[in-house]
Amino acid sequence: MHSAHGLEPGAIGREEAAFLKARRYSRKVRVVKLALPLVGAALAIGFFGYSYLLSPSSVSIGVEGTAVRDGKLVMANPKVTGYTKENLPYTLTAMRAIQDLSQTGMIQLEEIDAKFPVDDNNWARVLARTGTYDDTGNTLDITSPVTFKTTDGMTANLKSAFINIEAGEMSTAEPVDILQDGSRVTADTFKVLDKGKVFVFEKRVRVMIEPRKRPDGTPRDEAKAGN
Amino acid sequence: QSEPRVTGLQLSGDEPIQIESDRLEVRDAEGIAIFTGNVNVVQGPTLLKSGKMTVYYATDGTAEPSAAGPDASRIERLEVDENVYVKTETQVATADKASFDMKTEVLVMTGKEVVLSDDGNVLVGCKLTVQMATGHALLDGCGQSEGAKGRVKMLLQPKSQSQ
Repeated sequence: MHSAHGLEPGAIGREEAAFLKARRYSRKVRVVKLALPLVGAALAIGFFGYSYLLSPSSVSIGVEGTAVRDGKLVMANPKVTGYTKENLPYTLTAMRAIQDLSQTGMIQLEEIDAKFPVDDNNWARVLARTGTYDDTGNTLDITSPVTFKTTDGMTANLKSAFINIEAGEMSTAEPVDILQDGSRVTADTFKVLDKGKVFVFEKRVRVMIEPRKRPDGTPRDEAKAGN
Repeated sequence: QSEPRVTGLQLSGDEPIQIESDRLEVRDAEGIAIFTGNVNVVQGPTLLKSGKMTVYYATDGTAEPSAAGPDASRIERLEVDENVYVKTETQVATADKASFDMKTEVLVMTGKEVVLSDDGNVLVGCKLTVQMATGHALLDGCGQSEGAKGRVKMLLQPKSQSQ
């Protein structure tokens, strides 16, 4: 693993102070164990300091391994944790994160696994293959099929999704298929607004509502849908 | 007043319902799902069409957002607007508005002209109240306001026997 040696000693000192201040500032942030060669750690801390300055809501980023290849910082198992405006924690992990050193605010992510609050007693878990996390807007633009699972039992399959983590909003201009105990909604576009309180489906909306389950939970035989 | 029989008009919680529309907005915390644009509701033989339909459903206390809205049993009431068309196996009813209470299973259709046609017989009034469970219906005439009961217009096809 080779890495750039651009940082003089002063830069490392200043970055070190930013990391410690952040840790003191938000005791809730779990310190991520960094078993890295010194330069790799310096790059990670530099990245952490940079992103902390941009979104002071105590974002912390941990990385297990870094490498620089043709002007891009490649990080293994990055983990971003932070808090939304309502002080609800969110976590964003991926197998790999690739950050173009000329545009450090944008991070390409692969094999995304994110968990973020829909509201205070409902969480969404997002699984997707590829996406771009934009540190400035605190948004996640997922360009590959994505599945959403919420703790209240909703499963949503989307072809793509643009998530504004901070505002708890999401939108997609591609078909969606959503299942929730006993009813299913499909449509060509879908938006989640107002921190998960309002769902808007547009274009060829279809809702299938299953019959009332009998007390033992199974729908009556003859009422069961054919397909 | 006249008491036509309305048979087969059955919107119940224990049969699958399929709803189609151009747009759907679910405001789960308030327990409301608003369908707008070419609304089409099918349950068994019953078909309902309108420009807009609002479904009121019980949120089970905890305000967990659910994009897919209620299962059939949690639907409390449907409010249907913008030229309502209801068709059952044997009858067709049209009105400006309709509201259907899933618990009491009473459908009330109102409008300048509520038309109920059944195999050629046509009844016109201003308010049609249907007890879905029994099929018993009550059609009120228009012009209640002048005190006198409004008259129901009835067109009976000669060939058909009266119900």
